[in-house]
Amino acid sequence: MNLLQSFKMAVATIRINKVRSFLTMLGIIIGVTSVIGLVSVMQGYNADITQYYEKMGVNKISVSLTMYNFSDSVKMYDKLYEYVNKDLSGLASGVSPAMKTSGTIQYGSGTIEDTSTVYLGNEQFSLCNNYDLKEGRDISYMDVQSANHVCVIGSYIVQELFGYKNPIGETIYFNSLPLKVVGVYYQKDGTTESSMDDAIVMPYTLNKEVLGTVAVSAYTVKSVDATSMTALYTKLNAFLDAKIDDTMGKFKLTNENTEMEASDDETASLSLVLGAVASIALLVGGIGIMNIMLVTVTERTREIGIRKAIGATRKAIITQFLIESGMLSALGGIIGIIFGFIITLIVGKAMYDMILLPMAWITCASFAFSIAIGIGFGLYPAIKASGLQPVVALRAD
Amino acid sequence: MLIRVKDVYKIYNEGHENEVRALDGVSLNIDYGEYVAIIGSSGSGKSTFMNILGCLDVPTRGEYFLEDVNVKELTDADLSRIRSLKVGFIFQGYNLISTLNAYENIELPLIYQNIPAHKRRDAVFEALERVGLKERYLHFPSQLSGGQQQRIAIARAIATRAPIMMADEPTGALDSKTGIQIMETLEELNKSGSTIILITHDNGIAAKAKRVVRLSDGHIISDSRGETAV
Repeated sequence: MNLLQSFKMAVATIRINKVRSFLTMLGIIIGVTSVIGLVSVMQGYNADITQYYEKMGVNKISVSLTMYNFSDSVKMYDKLYEYVNKDLSGLASGVSPAMKTSGTIQYGSGTIEDTSTVYLGNEQFSLCNNYDLKEGRDISYMDVQSANHVCVIGSYIVQELFGYKNPIGETIYFNSLPLKVVGVYYQKDGTTESSMDDAIVMPYTLNKEVLGTVAVSAYTVKSVDATSMTALYTKLNAFLDAKIDDTMGKFKLTNENTEMEASDDETASLSLVLGAVASIALLVGGIGIMNIMLVTVTERTREIGIRKAIGATRKAIITQFLIESGMLSALGGIIGIIFGFIITLIVGKAMYDMILLPMAWITCASFAFSIAIGIGFGLYPAIKASGLQPVVALRAD
Repeated sequence: MLIRVKDVYKIYNEGHENEVRALDGVSLNIDYGEYVAIIGSSGSGKSTFMNILGCLDVPTRGEYFLEDVNVKELTDADLSRIRSLKVGFIFQGYNLISTLNAYENIELPLIYQNIPAHKRRDAVFEALERVGLKERYLHFPSQLSGGQQQRIAIARAIATRAPIMMADEPTGALDSKTGIQIMETLEELNKSGSTIILITHDNGIAAKAKRVVRLSDGHIISDSRGETAV
């Protein structure tokens, strides 16, 4: 008997027992749907995080600095600025203070309450933090040196306070501190409230007026590329270690790429665990198939007897039952994949606002796994069926 | 010689208190083209004998040669091939597969023989024509009368062109008029060269055969030929 005939027979049997076949497949459907759904949600989460890091700017080292003496803190800026821009010019592309605060931003009759992030940086701030200038000019070296009351604003601030009016040259107020808008950044985070576009940047030398201290407590150092990160980190660490002893203060360096990688690893292992948990549903589905196939064998003992009496070999009977169980699970797998796609699309849109599709490997793997489960769990019932003595099987009612 | 049975025993629960000697030393030869009725009352061992002759069951002891091949030495796959190629069964309960229609039921043994589709089609319709049910080929067993189902079962047996037909109480579940039709079909088959082995408890039915073998308690008590057989 050839395979095509076995397939035809299996299709016929599945069609005759529609409801039962569907219930049998349900375990596999739920299993495949949850495997694909969960892994895809994790994949979406991962993409979301990566996107966030990319917007924030990769290849950054954060320096947090606590000096016991304010003048040391101020002097430290010049030392670090010179070291990074001269000695480390091959490794680092820039350094900027990275203090931030928040408050009310006001222009004319419009105000933004507390959602905006206010950065205190220097002329290298936009370079270090992936902001691109759209109009006007960036904060200049002279602005920093002279503590000019100027600022560059993000696209959300423009939209909320100025609408279609040109903001360049206008004066906005941050907690009643007047700042002249000299430039506007491109949108980089969807121009939404509290996003990276809801931000203004001013010279860090305004820190006395904004933060009430002249100390510079945080820096961002931007590396030229990912491979230079380790060398840059080592050099910076050695430099700061030499300049700052325990009596003066303390410092801490953070490699932001490592943070990102750690979060990548975390989501990867989490998705593995979730996938494994969902696979248990698949396994349970397989046991359901075995159960039904065993019932089927008992129910169809007489049919098996007839088939053997008219010339079916053991192999033919095994093939017939295996194809039936394999087909049940494959069908369940296909339906599960369809549901998995739907769930992934819905979740991707709702949670991460992106068009998310299951990865090819997880789709193929769960389909292959469900067929394997159908055949694996169908094997015992199939062998049991084929081993029936025709005369015994014929006597059954 | 087509069938040679030498001192065959079929004993259930041998050595136990509830030992049953269904066949207790039976020897029989059947030649090509014979029409043999095996007759006996219920429990005489006639069904057991047919199961062994049809390779559905194996004897406890003794030897059975089918076309000079010792069945005992055959593998499971060989036995399947014999059932497929040499023997057509007609059962009292028809034994059609309820989920397949008439055409598919008749086609099934041909599928197991790996006969190509177009040849199967010809063989199925030829068999349907011989039993006079050509127009019913799409009917399922539940849509056919008992007599029609038995004729489909006969068509299934003859479609394979197996040389031996084994019929176990083929008219047992049918009214007398339909039973006569079935017996006429068997006679025609015998005339066209098939060897018929008919199992029955009914002397009237057995009288149609050219040779009557009478079984009682697992023994052959008579073996007679011709008009005087019954």
